Amino acid sequence: MSTIQTARGLEAGEGSLLLRPEDNVDPITFSVILNRFNTIAREMTLTLEHTSWTSILALARDFSCAIYDAGARQVCMMDALPIHTNSLHVILNSMVRAFEGKVYDGDVIVSNHPYSGNTHVGDFVTACPVFYRGEHLFWAVTKGHQLDCGAYEATSVAPSAKDVWQEALQIPPIKFYEKGEPRQDVINLYLANVRYRDMLYGDLMAQLGSIWNGRRRMLELVAEYGPDELMRYVEAILDYADRRTSEQLRSIPDGSYVGEAWIDSDGMGNTNLTVKATVNVKDDHVHVDFTGSSPQGKGGTNGTQGVMEASAGIPILCAIDPDIPHNDGCLRHISCEAPEGSIVKAKYPAATAMATLCPAAQEQEAVWKALAIAAPERTSAGYAGFHCVPSISGVDERGEEPAGWAAMFFNGGSGGGASMNADGWPLIMLSSGLGGLKILSTEMCELLYPFMLDYQEIEPDSMGHGRTMGGAGIRIRVRPYGTPMDCHVTGDGAANPPFGVFGGTPGIGGGNYRENLTTGHRDYCSSKGYMKIEPGEAWVGVSSGGGGFGDPLERPARKVCEHVRDGIIRLETARDVYGVVMEPHTFALDEKATQALRATLAAGTRELPIIQPTVPGAATWLRDNMREGDRYLLDPLP
Amino acid sequence: MQYVLGVDIGGTFTDFSLVDGSGHITLWKEATTPQSPALAVQRGLLALAEQQGMGLAEFLAGLDLFVHGQTIATNTVIQRNGPKAALLATQGFRDIIHFRDGYKPERYNIQLQPPDDFIPRYLRLPITERINYAGDVMVPLEEGSVRAAAQRMREAGVQSIAVAFLWSIMNAAHERRVKEILEQELPGVPVVLSSDVLPMIREWERTTCTVLSAYVLPGISRYMVELENFLRENGFRHPLLIMQLNGGTSTVNKVMQRPIYSLASGPAAAPVAGLHCTKRVGMNNVITIDMGGTSFDVSMVTDGTPTLTRDLRVHEMPVGVAAVNVHSIGASGGSIAWMDKGGALQVGPHSAGAEPGPACYGQGGTAPTCTDANVVLGYINPDYFLGGRREILPELSARAVDEHVAKPLGLSVPEAAHGIFRIINHNMVDAIRVVSIERGIDPRDYALVVGGGAGAIHAGMLGRTLGMKTAIIPRYSGVFCSFGMIVSDVRHDYMQAFATNTGRFDPTRANQVIADLERRAIDDMIEEGFPEGEVTLARYADAKYPAQIHELTIPVPAGRPLTAADGAEMAAAFHDLHERMFTYCVRESSVDLFHWRVIAHRRVRSPEATAFPPAVNPVSIALKGSRRVYFGDINDYRDTSIYDGEKLERGMIVTGPAVVEQTNTTIVVFAGQKLDVNEFGDFILKL
Repeated sequence: MSTIQTARGLEAGEGSLLLRPEDNVDPITFSVILNRFNTIAREMTLTLEHTSWTSILALARDFSCAIYDAGARQVCMMDALPIHTNSLHVILNSMVRAFEGKVYDGDVIVSNHPYSGNTHVGDFVTACPVFYRGEHLFWAVTKGHQLDCGAYEATSVAPSAKDVWQEALQIPPIKFYEKGEPRQDVINLYLANVRYRDMLYGDLMAQLGSIWNGRRRMLELVAEYGPDELMRYVEAILDYADRRTSEQLRSIPDGSYVGEAWIDSDGMGNTNLTVKATVNVKDDHVHVDFTGSSPQGKGGTNGTQGVMEASAGIPILCAIDPDIPHNDGCLRHISCEAPEGSIVKAKYPAATAMATLCPAAQEQEAVWKALAIAAPERTSAGYAGFHCVPSISGVDERGEEPAGWAAMFFNGGSGGGASMNADGWPLIMLSSGLGGLKILSTEMCELLYPFMLDYQEIEPDSMGHGRTMGGAGIRIRVRPYGTPMDCHVTGDGAANPPFGVFGGTPGIGGGNYRENLTTGHRDYCSSKGYMKIEPGEAWVGVSSGGGGFGDPLERPARKVCEHVRDGIIRLETARDVYGVVMEPHTFALDEKATQALRATLAAGTRELPIIQPTVPGAATWLRDNMREGDRYLLDPLP
Repeated sequence: MQYVLGVDIGGTFTDFSLVDGSGHITLWKEATTPQSPALAVQRGLLALAEQQGMGLAEFLAGLDLFVHGQTIATNTVIQRNGPKAALLATQGFRDIIHFRDGYKPERYNIQLQPPDDFIPRYLRLPITERINYAGDVMVPLEEGSVRAAAQRMREAGVQSIAVAFLWSIMNAAHERRVKEILEQELPGVPVVLSSDVLPMIREWERTTCTVLSAYVLPGISRYMVELENFLRENGFRHPLLIMQLNGGTSTVNKVMQRPIYSLASGPAAAPVAGLHCTKRVGMNNVITIDMGGTSFDVSMVTDGTPTLTRDLRVHEMPVGVAAVNVHSIGASGGSIAWMDKGGALQVGPHSAGAEPGPACYGQGGTAPTCTDANVVLGYINPDYFLGGRREILPELSARAVDEHVAKPLGLSVPEAAHGIFRIINHNMVDAIRVVSIERGIDPRDYALVVGGGAGAIHAGMLGRTLGMKTAIIPRYSGVFCSFGMIVSDVRHDYMQAFATNTGRFDPTRANQVIADLERRAIDDMIEEGFPEGEVTLARYADAKYPAQIHELTIPVPAGRPLTAADGAEMAAAFHDLHERMFTYCVRESSVDLFHWRVIAHRRVRSPEATAFPPAVNPVSIALKGSRRVYFGDINDYRDTSIYDGEKLERGMIVTGPAVVEQTNTTIVVFAGQKLDVNEFGDFILKL
């Protein structure tokens, strides 16, 4: 915390926000219990991170831990991925319904089922009830993205899966443990249907250890305060978040705000699909209506109820004070809908394997854009989607015996959007994660997997420009050793680059290709598809930086000089976009010339566009970078 | 007469602990001189010499041991006032410190600016070379690229250079050659190699460790060499020892070879300081707390061994080497109480510091602090703060608490003050949980050792909340870390990467690696002037299941060459540790071993402790009087006995509720608790 707050609420006449006498809670105990829940959720997170066996959980941290009350209302989540935790209650509710009256102490319920409210099949949910003296009080829940889920191809986010039976083993809510006893036959059935079963067994244990640890700590907490007292405080904590969220949302003018975003392709060759969000703000409630979005896609690029509820909420939760505790008290102010059969909410048995990446990113983007009109200072420029994050796999022959390997490779990930007061961060990728995902160390990768990285560097001018700049994109090259490498590209946002706001420019969009290291020939691939990389070839990703925010002419000129000196933007960009003139070798600012150029550029303009681009398929990166003889592959299938 | 001396530079005070041959301890505090830290050290030395009735030369000549904890390194990094530094990286990987691990801490705060790169990109220079995971050269070192980089650095006026190449842990030849070239090209500019400072896999951590090392090196060399010269010129006959972040000490020369160890130097002495007073009453499990002027530091000792971590960060950059796990939060006497926007009471992390200080100092501070709350509650005696050296205005405390906490919450002033007391206690309990409970360690099996002047007001409550049984307030509580330094061993850490597996364990190669590390350790110690016979060597390895990612460090049989059978023994040690920490293990699996570690200790002889004679008087002779003190169990003030701590004798028992006052420490004994004094003069609080 960087600022010191005083009792500002009171002075501003916002007495309604305070804990009120009628709540009958002791403000000190309130703070203590609130922090205890945070500590418990954090400990669940540590357990999962440190004990899991695959890099996607142990290094990339593609998982979340949260605490719910018996009625599946969120009590606490800390340090988790928004795409998971904003809608984890939806699948938990399905679990509650599936075992109504048959939830016992010592149970573990699991599911990955997209049509029961899960986000997508890759996300595996474990939940255990917390009973105190026979009374069911809480749920400890984790959701972890599995390296494999038994799809027809070796990826847990298959864009080309045609239906639920191709995308994964479907697991509706089912008990792995009952009354403390493992149902080993059921666990065996699960493990028999996934690749890399030993590693996934390790990950399952980690997800169980996490919820059991959560349960242990909650029982200590209940024992300390007694169930009645504790639950009274839980109610107060939810009310507190509720009141503060309410106050913040009321400051957004009532109205209907529309944002539109586009999906590069559905993975089956259909391009530039629309996601449209109408954000209805009334009083302290936000309702997001995705009516008007394209019909569902033919492959795995489709949305689920779980993803929609999470995505609608992400930009809204970013628009309220970040120190409001995130729980059901915030979430209850946001609702959403979409017509069944649309790309936002596919109809059974359509595949939805890609949902958390795409259309999740475009759903969020459409809401961010609507917010740009509703609450300009509280929105963000575009996040650069998930492209250049391939699922790669193959056979490792470096050891005594050949062994299968696979990884979701985050290291070339794209940049985050700029906001009113901050530049974007690198490697944020889409706003589904908002920076909760980590990258893998190059050396760990090269030790674990049979490939070598040739470079991983900032791509100059890849980000959107503005008063604040998007986080940088990355140029990265991966080269297999000896054995070929299967490469499933499972992203989006290359043809439709991250948007700029209020005069900020879009990121480049970027792209990826297979390069022949002898001839230099390149096969460019759309943001979804499959490429086999043979020895002597490499996969190259050039990810986009995030979108820019505000007028580039307002960025401090000295900073712009430093960016040129550092090779983050080019000299011409400084001149043409930022209106900054400098000595090209010493990078010394020419103040007079800059002032004059900025004045000319400002006079020549133009009202600053609220959003750019405003049309689908706006990226020019592919056109600018493809050379004579290179090939372009749209959604290539395995 | 022979003496040992520990000197610890803190934010407000520079602490001195002097112990003579018969175990008599002299404590001294000198105001820190931030502009020129050596000044406070010199002043303190003069004062101590004078107290002993000696001149400086005679005093220094009688010193057997001088251990120093300094803040130069930490301050250089925090204030970013170090040299202009550059980083040479493998071509294609110079942006490692910009990408970090891709993680953003405050998820929903879109207005959070990303951290600045510690070295700007134009000073991160690519070198053409590449080594792979097996140590094979994939791209030979292009010396032209090194000379080109040297030219760039010369033009830019670079004063210190970090070199961190991929996989230099498997083959350091390129880094070494680069150093040779730079020594010709840029004579006099220090060059720090990643393969020297942290030969450990994971390039981000290794690179940041190298960068931090290069950044602090010029400053600490200057300071330490000057201080050592000053001491030598004035009669000190031994090498100056520097406290390191690994909890051991080192000569100045060795620290300059591994400058990262000079960071966070003072607090690293806390675990040993804690252990010193528990060991002599037969306890080996210790949690230490040190509530200082700006922060609250927690550390831990299990089975007589301080807990170390490899996750320590400075400026959001991992330090990478094993460091004493000191968990620090912004909780201190100066911590400010405030209301968040929702009207919930918060305390800290901001501190009123020494200027303006708590409201009761009357130096213009109006925000209520923890000290103000303790004044309102009657825990602090306004007439005897710091032994009466500082004037306290209790009415200003009451006003600050009233305006900023009591009125907004609709509470009385004492209720509000007690609220501040409870919140800051909660924060401190939470900090203790982070180092204990969150790692699966039950603090109830530990003794709580209390350092710092304000700590003993809260210790009774903290220990009770955590279910602990004993808190110890040692005689040296007020100068806790400086005392810890004189009982800290000389310590050096060595490590080498060598990948193997317990299923196909190759003792020949492993023995080579270990022998190399142990030879270096012994050579270093001998060079520092410590005979081989005084050095003990411990071996460790980082282990994991083949498919697993995060490692656990396990002990390796020491004192003899390893045999093929040791593979199974190390595997068993790993399974056991894994089960203990994570509730399960996979006993049928083999275990991967990667980093091999040797830790060399040269033990110091603990100073004798004076045994205090049993009390001959009744405890009532220490009774000073009584005053109104607020206690949470009755939510009200009650008349409470006040004792003079200096007059409490061995075996006397003070029954709570009571307050015990000493010059630098106030102990609150809560209802149901008992305090007594043991034969070493330490206060034992039974919770």
